[in-house]
Amino acid sequence: MRPRVWALLLTALVLSAIAAIALGSVSLSPAAVWDALRGRGAPDAEMIVRVLRLPRVVLGIVVGAGLGMSGAALQANLRNALAEPYLLGVSGGAAVGAVLATALSVTSPGVVPLAAFAGSVCAVVCVLAVARAARGPGDARVLVMAGVVVGAFANAAIMIVMANVPDQSVRSALWWMMGSLGDASWAGVRWTAGYVTVGGLLLLVYGREIEILALGDEPAAALGVDPVSATRRIFLISSLLAAVTVAAAGLVGFVGLVVPAIARSLGARTVRGTILASALAGASLVVGADLVARVARAPAELPLGAVTALVGVPFFLLRLRRLS
Amino acid sequence: MAFVGYASRPQLSASLVRFGLLPLRKEPVLNSRYRTIARITLGVSLAACARDAHTGAPAAVRVDDFGDTIPSTLHAQRIVSLSPVTTELLFALGAGGRVVGRTHWDSYPAEARVVPDVGDGMQPNIEAVLGARPDLVVLYASASNRSAARRLRQAGVATIAMHQDRADDFRRTARVLGLALGDSARGAALGDRVLAEIQAVRTSTTRADGPPAPRPSIFWHVWDAPVYTIGSSSYLDELVSAAGAVNIFGDRPESAPQVSLEEVVRRDPDFVLAGPTSAPKLLVNPAWRAVRAVREGRVLVMDTALVGRPGIRMGEAARWIRTRLDSAAAAMPRKANAVKR
Repeated sequence: MRPRVWALLLTALVLSAIAAIALGSVSLSPAAVWDALRGRGAPDAEMIVRVLRLPRVVLGIVVGAGLGMSGAALQANLRNALAEPYLLGVSGGAAVGAVLATALSVTSPGVVPLAAFAGSVCAVVCVLAVARAARGPGDARVLVMAGVVVGAFANAAIMIVMANVPDQSVRSALWWMMGSLGDASWAGVRWTAGYVTVGGLLLLVYGREIEILALGDEPAAALGVDPVSATRRIFLISSLLAAVTVAAAGLVGFVGLVVPAIARSLGARTVRGTILASALAGASLVVGADLVARVARAPAELPLGAVTALVGVPFFLLRLRRLS
Repeated sequence: MAFVGYASRPQLSASLVRFGLLPLRKEPVLNSRYRTIARITLGVSLAACARDAHTGAPAAVRVDDFGDTIPSTLHAQRIVSLSPVTTELLFALGAGGRVVGRTHWDSYPAEARVVPDVGDGMQPNIEAVLGARPDLVVLYASASNRSAARRLRQAGVATIAMHQDRADDFRRTARVLGLALGDSARGAALGDRVLAEIQAVRTSTTRADGPPAPRPSIFWHVWDAPVYTIGSSSYLDELVSAAGAVNIFGDRPESAPQVSLEEVVRRDPDFVLAGPTSAPKLLVNPAWRAVRAVREGRVLVMDTALVGRPGIRMGEAARWIRTRLDSAAAAMPRKANAVKR
């Protein structure tokens, strides 16, 4: 990718972040926002900007980057342009893990992502098994179908857990399942950012393996890459990234589908380039979508997952048509 | 999770209700949320009542809030009450012995607990209700209960569906139930008494002469994700105002408007009122600590079993809120001194 394209992606991210900090259901002048950021503003403006908006924007960046990288890695690993954590049921499995943890009164922002990770790994194993049973793990459409089935099962599991737990924190899960950055706090952001950074770095390290795998299993083995364990590794890391975002922001679909395609259309050719560009584009997309969710019907808030689905579903249909 | 996660808000609310997540269980205040779910109100009975109040003629109410006619010769003997408000009302009207079924959440008065439990009051289990062999079923008039009312009528059972949003809706309900029991004078008197009790609290907080009494501003926390509060069509807005306080979202016409946390910060209430499960969570939630009242510990725990129902204890509830606000204001004399809007 040319430096100009990287600059473009970075500019888009910076602009969407500035817009998301400046705009909200309470309108503040640019000067008031600037003063609040420096800690010299009116007390209520300072609270709105520094306690409510800023962590939310940072969480949006982290979640978007995680979803973008997860999608890019899954697509490269499965050689399937429809692969995406939400459509593959990976996010649904993660949600089951997170809801179960919450139902068992585990709410630490460091531990819930691990429970979500366990759930997402179970979902990946199920999806691959279902696709294999349908004799088509290589067929993009069969894989997505398996993902939808596993996702529906995960949804049923969550409903049953929630029907049995009267605790209010679990009841709020219904809203959270539609995706929201509303819970953003610095403590949560730190954990999420930590996990996403680790996962992202691991993907960049193993990105070369994915490229070698693309040559075919035999050439890969000849180059010292064990196809089975390499594929498994990438699945684990992309599941971790997706699970961490689910624990922080609920189910935000289609980002992992749309963003790698944008990266490729901007000229990303290598796996690592695509992953990095997807992180940047995913961050801008989620920050922008959350801004729309907050201001479109202010003071009411739209679910973030609904906004990303509005963008993602037409895109998915176009892709599907091209495949058929 | 493909596709299933993206439910619309009515669907979300419907699921919340279906799973008994919303109302009348832990935080009965959420009763007010029913109105936003999809309320269908017919002005007919309201108009009938208004005429009623002027002429004093008791039997003018002929239709319920679903527009179904109420037979004037009902004299119900076996009643299933599918809302805590109507259950306590029936007991107060001396018809407790005729109640043969109640919802799982009805806890007042204590005698009501002896009545057989037929499950949920929203989208009730029709078989369980019919199993109690009622000649009258009283429902809450939410859109989600419309089909239940229709099926019960098809089964030959009379139904009365009323909503209770504002205190005056309680008075209408009391009149209609009095009519159904064959004692409309008693129903009308009970409804008037409760409204008079609220009015008495209001009078005690309003100075007849001199400068107006200080009115602390409050934010009523109904629901967290997303944030819901009470608006001017909620009886809670009336109780708060009778108790001498100002609801910071009293300018919103809905009974349970969705608001943004940013706006709560900007309107800067003197006190935040919340249920017993939410209050401790608000105090430690970093986002909620952006609200000054939360940061400074001015969160008042509401007795949701008392204030959460627009029923016969509304006067007592208004008095209780008043006492709670007074003692909190006395403990923190710096605040609670101005009307903010």
